[in-house]
Amino acid sequence: MTGPQTQPQPGSLLSVRNLAVSFPSEAGRVDAVRGVDFDLFPGRTLAIVGESGSGKSVTAMAVMGLLPEYASVTGSITLNSRELLGLDDRQMSQIRGRNLGMIFQDPLSSLTPIFSVGQQIVEALEIHQNLDRDVAWKRAVELLDLVGIPKAAERARSFPHEFSGGMRQRVVIAIAMANDPQIIIADEPTTALDVTVQAQILDVLRLSQTETGAALIMITHDLGVVAGIADEVLVMYAGRPVERAPVDELFARPRMPYTIGLLGAVPRVDIAERRPLVPIRGNPPLLVDLPPGCPFQPRCPVSVPECGDREPDLAVVAGAAVDGHSAACIRAHEIRDGQIDGRPVYPVPLAPDVPAARVPRQQRPAVLELTGLSKTFPLLKGAILKRRVGSVYAVSDVDLDIRESETLGLVGESGCGKTSTLLEIMNLRPPQHGSIRIAGVDIGELRGRDAERQLRRKLQMVFQDPMGALDPRMTVFDILAEPLQAVGEADRTAIAARVDELMDLVGLNPEHSDRFPIAFSGGQRQRIAIARALATNPSLVVLDEPVSALDVSIQAGVINLLNELKVKLGLSYLFVAHDLSVVRHISDRVAVMYLGRIVEIGAVDQVFGAPQHPYTHALLSAIPVPDPVVERTRERIVLHGELPSPTDSAPGCRFASRCPLYLTLDVTQQTRCTSETPELTGRGDTDQRNACHFR
Amino acid sequence: MSAALVLRYLLRKSLGWLLMIVVATNLTYFIANFFLDPRANYLQLRPPRTPEQISRSLAQYNLSRDTPLLDRWWHWISGIVLHWNWGYSPVGESVNSQISFRIGVSAQLVMGSLILSTLIGISLAVYTAARQYRFADRFSQGVSIVTLNTPVVVASLAVVLLAIAFNQSVGSTVLFVAGAQSPTVSGFWPLLLDRVRHLILPTVSLTVISYAGTHLLQRSLLLDNINSDYVRLARAKGLTRQHAIRRHALRTSLIPVAITVAFAIPALFTGAVITETIFAWQGMGQYFIQTIGKNDIHGAVAVAAFGALMTAIGAILADIAVVALDPRVRVS
Repeated sequence: MTGPQTQPQPGSLLSVRNLAVSFPSEAGRVDAVRGVDFDLFPGRTLAIVGESGSGKSVTAMAVMGLLPEYASVTGSITLNSRELLGLDDRQMSQIRGRNLGMIFQDPLSSLTPIFSVGQQIVEALEIHQNLDRDVAWKRAVELLDLVGIPKAAERARSFPHEFSGGMRQRVVIAIAMANDPQIIIADEPTTALDVTVQAQILDVLRLSQTETGAALIMITHDLGVVAGIADEVLVMYAGRPVERAPVDELFARPRMPYTIGLLGAVPRVDIAERRPLVPIRGNPPLLVDLPPGCPFQPRCPVSVPECGDREPDLAVVAGAAVDGHSAACIRAHEIRDGQIDGRPVYPVPLAPDVPAARVPRQQRPAVLELTGLSKTFPLLKGAILKRRVGSVYAVSDVDLDIRESETLGLVGESGCGKTSTLLEIMNLRPPQHGSIRIAGVDIGELRGRDAERQLRRKLQMVFQDPMGALDPRMTVFDILAEPLQAVGEADRTAIAARVDELMDLVGLNPEHSDRFPIAFSGGQRQRIAIARALATNPSLVVLDEPVSALDVSIQAGVINLLNELKVKLGLSYLFVAHDLSVVRHISDRVAVMYLGRIVEIGAVDQVFGAPQHPYTHALLSAIPVPDPVVERTRERIVLHGELPSPTDSAPGCRFASRCPLYLTLDVTQQTRCTSETPELTGRGDTDQRNACHFR
Repeated sequence: MSAALVLRYLLRKSLGWLLMIVVATNLTYFIANFFLDPRANYLQLRPPRTPEQISRSLAQYNLSRDTPLLDRWWHWISGIVLHWNWGYSPVGESVNSQISFRIGVSAQLVMGSLILSTLIGISLAVYTAARQYRFADRFSQGVSIVTLNTPVVVASLAVVLLAIAFNQSVGSTVLFVAGAQSPTVSGFWPLLLDRVRHLILPTVSLTVISYAGTHLLQRSLLLDNINSDYVRLARAKGLTRQHAIRRHALRTSLIPVAITVAFAIPALFTGAVITETIFAWQGMGQYFIQTIGKNDIHGAVAVAAFGALMTAIGAILADIAVVALDPRVRVS
């Protein structure tokens, strides 16, 4: 390949040339996609990777012809040598569903709520094939069975709200593959799902590809998913592809500084080494009136003056090890193995020194101790007079402690009781069962508002969505001053000085404190939220998914900030996240929850390096690693079924119904699993304890 | 969900509404007796009647104040329960004959425009929602806002003037501007044609003022759904945009509209007073005003009972519509 091509490559199924999409907006014309070229070959998987706003989804929508009518689309999209651009809705509808199948991000809203899932698959079949009702229904049931819905014949009559998110995504996949399409486009198909369910869905996707022989376009921001599924990767930035290469080549020898930055910014779940992540400074540009030159230049650590002259084309890298590696960087040929002129493209930040770590854990004071914490919610029935028909055992018998200067990661699938545990702690009310001690004070013995306020100072929280957590009508100054006033600080100059100090602490310019949250980007807003949590000098900060709403390159900066603050201020964190790579990176210890119980707890490297409980084992193996070589050879334990609902308080191990180990046990051992609740036990010398009878 | 279950559910609902109608009607009976005094009708008569005379003439219609209220009530309610006799006006007209005649007239007047305005409103909404902010959408929205705010008198008079101009240009009376039917026509087909020719103008004027509410409500509900993920998935399956909107977006957004329309039925029956007056139709609305003006206690109570019945029918129709449109609704 040399330079931009106009002709489709021989043998290609789908060929996109110089695709550009722009939308009118109040700020001016937004150039969402600015020249995308790629070819897709039968049976192959192309991954399109990029951060939000990079134009990856818009590209997919343009191929499907599903962009709004006010979008202006230019260039060429040819499918089987037929030009798709310029076809009207009726002609495109002949192609959609038959040649092109699509899977969307949010399975919860993708299915029409008032039709049964069977009907919805039948509809997809009947649009393109002249089938008998019965035949179509039978085929729909087959498809549901194929994508792994148990009791498919029965479940086909169910409505979407009777399915979990993972099950609904399987239905969407069944619809996409119903007419044996040549191409399946998956737009972030697993982003909204739990990691164990993600592994199942990726398997179903691979299966649908082998069943139909379709080519797959995988749109994602998750480099781990890319490493596991892609043949070729297209990295997009600011509406343009900036690097394209076969998957091994891209991960092993990236040439474009942006790709190198992305790979460096992702924490790895399989690596114990604790070096700080390498964030990419700055933010992606707005796609309105872009200045000339490389759009990545303002964020690029190795930019030279020539970068500002003109935007580089996606060109074949001179001296690349394999064919088909191209990058849009004028210095691409100088970059080898993430280094330029013998120095790394991104200088690795220094690891903060942890003084507290030198003191053994047991000698440090505990900032949070939970003993036997339980929380149940009543299940009610009846229209006017509610009567209790059962209980949801959201948190059962949780014991854990967090010492000074320590981060405990709390992980598990959604519905496992992480949030309920957090809320119980944040409530500052005596729990239903067990006890909560914060900084040595038992909540059950808390008397009076003053005592509560004093304790509240010690305990602060950072939420997942920084936009939702900051009042849009308060300036940043007011946001940061509010907790100070709440704990009784009245001196205005003292507050002003503290606000400046806080802004400085989280890496924001103190002069910007008179602005409103809307003026800040997502990462900056999360920094404001962290500053607010730090305002009262807490000893424990509860972090509920603090980086999951942020893009990868921004996320790394916030994680580094959290680590720095921990060292600088001697903070302890209770860190809840579904992204286990982030948890491994930031935590000292980790607790794995399943259906309200802790099944394994211990030092992070022990638990991640040598997981003992079968659930931990499965959970860890489900996480994709951003390295195609590792991904291919890893053994994956895919858990079957769904997380049951925790309404059963009978003794026994709650994981037994899905446990891979349980299946290998003999009958007496199995009886023990189902009749005796396993306790958290350790093997003596280490900190690692698990709740399994046989591990 | 089986048919038997639906029937049992409807039966239970109907019983509940029946109870509601009974309570409302009896309550209205007592209220009407407090506020309406039929003796006033006799006071203007010349030569003046003595109170005894008035009382005697009212007593034959069970309206005399000399009889205790509870006794009158017992007489009235047992008349209804035993003989389905809703009583008499102060001058002795039977309420039954008035109502039974007028229900038919009102139904002719109202049902046509209700069906028409619902169909027009919904189709216009589907057409314009798919073309949001384009000329057709903005234009029809403008027209709807104008008609929504047009007083019924203005709309009716405009329709009448247009019809007269039309009749004059044709040279014969094609469209009648007054009355429900001509007195001299006989035979099935001529009578039907005559009814239709009388019906057109009031139906048109009622439709003009009432379709816009349905149009604007349905349009905004549709717009909420048109860009939803499931409509996008329906298009990705291979439905055209129009088809996806009609099949996936419309059905979910029809539910609130169906409920609104069903509950509009009682107000339509008794609220078309002005239209009835302009076109000289002897409908329920006119009767409602008349009974109150003439201190006709039994007539007013019967109208109230009819209104309660219509509300019940509207509510049950709304329930049926929801169950029919949304199969997720479990009958329990």
